[in-house]
Amino acid sequence: MPESSEAAITLTGDLHARPAGSLAVAAAGFVAAVQIAVGDACVDAKSVLSVMALGATNGQQVVVRATGPDADQAVAAIIGILAAATPVGG
Amino acid sequence: MSEQARVGIVLVSHSSALAEGAAELAGQIGGGTVLIVPAGGTEDGGIGTSEAKVRKAVLAANAGAGVLILPDLGSSVLTVRFLLSEPGALPEPVALADAPFVEGAVAAAVAAAVGGDIKAVLAAAEEARNARKL
Repeated sequence: MPESSEAAITLTGDLHARPAGSLAVAAAGFVAAVQIAVGDACVDAKSVLSVMALGATNGQQVVVRATGPDADQAVAAIIGILAAATPVGG
Repeated sequence: MSEQARVGIVLVSHSSALAEGAAELAGQIGGGTVLIVPAGGTEDGGIGTSEAKVRKAVLAANAGAGVLILPDLGSSVLTVRFLLSEPGALPEPVALADAPFVEGAVAAAVAAAVGGDIKAVLAAAEEARNARKL
């Protein structure tokens, strides 16, 4: 049974191009499958274009789920990147 | 994946400014660890493509793991195809991506940054054909 982990964060910035890139690069560094969900949309966190297409903005809740041996670390890392997202233009 | 050579990326456009801008953008989104070399415009700075510029860019982008070449359209594709058909003109491995220019460059930059091989970087670029913007 693979380890799984989940956490949620309310964005204080927008998930624009650069944080989406940071997020995808970080997610790819983990063995675990990592998904991020906003509302009804749920995408592979390792796909930068999918993360951008979520269009997640300031004030929205994002749920991060990971399944795999390093699921806890993956969720912590992704939450950290989401917490650092700044409003568009930043 | 920290010390291995990464796949390089060459962005071929009719416009020097377009190639340079796309390279700058993809470099920032990918975290700046990948060699992304623009090859845009003619040798005298006009709109068009240059075999010599593309060849020079591919050599500059090759860190040992190969180079993904992403053309914008039309003669960019023909120029790359010509170079691929010339024995010894380009280092190996090289791959020509059939992908949208900006999205493909960004997806390829991220795939290369995380240590993907030439096949993985090509697949990431070409997956961008299916990526929706909205």
